[in-house]
Amino acid sequence: MNTFVAIGDTVVDELRAILGDEGVLIGKAARYNRTRVPAPFPVHRWAEYVPDLVVLPRTAEQVSEVVKLANRERIPVVPRAGGTGLNDGALPLKRGIVVDIKRMNQIKEVDLVDRTVTVGPGINMLKLNEELRKHNVMFPDDPASYPCSLVGGRIGTSGWSLIGGRYGHTRDLVISFQIVLPTGEIIEVGDGGGRKIRKSSSGFQLKHLFMGHQGTLGIVTEATLELVPRPEMEFAAFFHYPSYTAAWESTGALAKSGLASLGGVVLFDEYKLRYLRRDDEAYIPRPDHVRAVVATALYGTRDEVEPAARRIMRIGRESGGTYLGDEISSGDWASRHDRYATPLHGRLDTGEVVPMSWHCEDASINYSQLPAVMEKWHAITARYAEKTGILDDWGMFAYTNGAYKPWGDYLTEIDIGIWEQKLSDDNWPDWVACKREIAQVALDHGGSITACHGATREGDAELIPVEMGGGFDVMLKIKAALDPNNIMNPGKYELDRAYGLDEKVFR
Amino acid sequence: MTAPPYDPAADGGLQEQFVEQWRDSAYGCFSSGHKFCREVCPVMQVTRNENHTPTAFHANIVAMEQGNLTVADVADDYVHCTQCGACELRCPNTLFTGDFYRNRTQTVKVVKAMRALAIQSGIEQPNWKRWVEATIDAKSEPVLDVPVSQENVARWSEGLGLPIGGETILFVDCEAAFYRTSVSRSTAQLLQMAGVEFGLMREQWCCGGPAAEMGYTDAARQLADHNVADWRSYGAKRIITLDPHDYISFTEDYVEYFGPDYEFEIVHITELVAELIRDGALTLTQPIERVVTYHDPCRLNKRKGIHASPREILRAIPGLEFRDVDHVTQWSYCSGGGGGLPIEKPEITAEISRRRLARAKELEVDTLVSACVWSERPLAAAGDEQGIDVRDLMELVAESAGLDPRGVHGAAGPQQEVPA
Repeated sequence: MNTFVAIGDTVVDELRAILGDEGVLIGKAARYNRTRVPAPFPVHRWAEYVPDLVVLPRTAEQVSEVVKLANRERIPVVPRAGGTGLNDGALPLKRGIVVDIKRMNQIKEVDLVDRTVTVGPGINMLKLNEELRKHNVMFPDDPASYPCSLVGGRIGTSGWSLIGGRYGHTRDLVISFQIVLPTGEIIEVGDGGGRKIRKSSSGFQLKHLFMGHQGTLGIVTEATLELVPRPEMEFAAFFHYPSYTAAWESTGALAKSGLASLGGVVLFDEYKLRYLRRDDEAYIPRPDHVRAVVATALYGTRDEVEPAARRIMRIGRESGGTYLGDEISSGDWASRHDRYATPLHGRLDTGEVVPMSWHCEDASINYSQLPAVMEKWHAITARYAEKTGILDDWGMFAYTNGAYKPWGDYLTEIDIGIWEQKLSDDNWPDWVACKREIAQVALDHGGSITACHGATREGDAELIPVEMGGGFDVMLKIKAALDPNNIMNPGKYELDRAYGLDEKVFR
Repeated sequence: MTAPPYDPAADGGLQEQFVEQWRDSAYGCFSSGHKFCREVCPVMQVTRNENHTPTAFHANIVAMEQGNLTVADVADDYVHCTQCGACELRCPNTLFTGDFYRNRTQTVKVVKAMRALAIQSGIEQPNWKRWVEATIDAKSEPVLDVPVSQENVARWSEGLGLPIGGETILFVDCEAAFYRTSVSRSTAQLLQMAGVEFGLMREQWCCGGPAAEMGYTDAARQLADHNVADWRSYGAKRIITLDPHDYISFTEDYVEYFGPDYEFEIVHITELVAELIRDGALTLTQPIERVVTYHDPCRLNKRKGIHASPREILRAIPGLEFRDVDHVTQWSYCSGGGGGLPIEKPEITAEISRRRLARAKELEVDTLVSACVWSERPLAAAGDEQGIDVRDLMELVAESAGLDPRGVHGAAGPQQEVPA
């Protein structure tokens, strides 16, 4: 069922009047290239999800005019930032208009007194930090996609940062932002009011409502971000262990060290080590007794980090770890954005190398539950790998998940290689079922089905009502109230239910 | 807006063969999907249009295989590339599987191949077409407003007494032969001063690299055939290039054309001059009172890994204050002068150069030094706007060696200042 109208020439003309000719793209290549994100994708059904056109706005006013037009004409609107998401929030399930915000990448204000930077949502963090470096400050939002994801997408997904244990995650680092609502109004949201105010008790906490909305509640057009001093010192230490259990115990000890400079702790499981050893460049030493790894990183002033480094080394060793050496520790941490998922490591059961897409299934899991979840996730993956012949278990990471207090729960992820060229109507449902079982395990163990990717699509989305409980009904009411015509990214998060629709996607 | 569906009968299976050849490497990108290439791409930094990303260049091939796109849908997108190679370096597939799998993401080759497919399919870019036709006609690229001609291809060297032929040949690129003759005169006199024996070609034609970059493979091959025959006619063994684009043509394209029989040693001038300084054959005595930074030419730094020798040379020039930016940071820098971009999309080239000069300005330098004559035209235009002088490395070295090479730096036509 499609309740939306096709886009006519008069709408295209109106859009050109708003954006100029070069701001409206109707060519096939423009539309096909804004149909997918890195999340696994039924490539044989690509043509079904192509937007009708793409707009490249430069201002919030242009975005507002586009959304008002779409709302009037009942045309779906899907915001797109970097297009690097792992749960395809930016995929236009019902076609319509893709609003690609990459041209909104200006740095509008650097305030070194009140310690904020105000930017367009199309700016990338690495690029932003290149500019901030000259002021000796940085914006410390550091996901795996640091070289390519954009601030707008970080807000849209409520991102997680590798060094969030020290500096916080996206929701902590975005002080306030401007958002165009589904009916076209431009509003500012923060904790309360005040563009540069970090903490307020005024009204509802609207920043958090729109943080992680996956494009279903509007389009972010400006953000005011936290500035922190550039750290004088970075210290990374990697330890190895004879077993997952030993590494898990050490992870707990390191994470609750109480060191304020601790950016995070990362636990590599045994599958991950086997995956990384598939090529000659893997850094993990070969002896069989090296079965699991834990990485830590400290950031801050020299006065903080030097003594904290001594403490971390002591805890690592006392809790059973063996230091992997300076070269591996600093080198591997430096390459943390690039290293861990490459399609060329994909293997079939036979050992044949095939180009596999990286899929990362994430969840938030309490520390106590990590070993049990790890075993269940690998078992599920093994079952579907055998059944489909196109999946490959690339191992798991668990990352400390709390802001400023890196203990208690973990961003837990399993990396799965998928031979995307072989996806078909026959095996796509198996993949969706695999995802769903993985997500269900997270719920069974008292967790959340996603820590940072979002859960917009089939395989995850149907479990959102289960996880949210009565909160999901509130979500439906908010969605219907803010987006009366269901134009903002329709088909995601089961929010179509707010309009009496119950259509599954990617059946 | 929308091309009709692909029909293999209509083009003799050209597109089908293209997809067959490039599909697997395209999947290497499609299935990775990281897009780390996007923010280092000099074109993308300006246009902010995802159509122009290396990711799209690969994904299009997957879409062609699926029957979703044809070459007509995508040809214009592939014009938006300087072939600088930054995307290939920044690709995690290259960075972390290069040694073991012998893998390097091949975006430049994909762009060249798609441009060639477009031409074979009858889709041409008007300015490229004119450019290549004029090149074939005059045997050199039409780099000047006034006509270039074969009679004048060596006029830059008047008065230097350079022989023709020999074991070592100095190949002087079209831009340096006609437009910025100060580079070629500096280079030649430095080699003479250092006692390097070398000659010029009997008849130097364009290297063919620009035609190859634009997809005109037949024209490129025609030019290459002539040059190699010229070299062989007097038994040349070593070819010195002063232009990084020629260096790519001779070390990559020509090797493909001529296979294992291709017998020439190809040397880039910065490598040779660094060695001559190191060995004491060249002594730089005249102080150059400038505050400079160095622009890593893409084809030297990103495509060929040559970034140490130009820096070594700069550090040998007395009086110079050198404010360096490391070569990895410069992966995302470019002049916009390569890959035919300034011929079809001059406004994008100009903006890329403008941004490059703005970065130089932040360092509070008075001079930006490059080692690529093709970069120096757009960079100099941007430098004029921002009050920064753009010089070629060889010009500065010649000056520091006490030479007065004369020639022109591009502006007023080819020969006015060359001594009779």
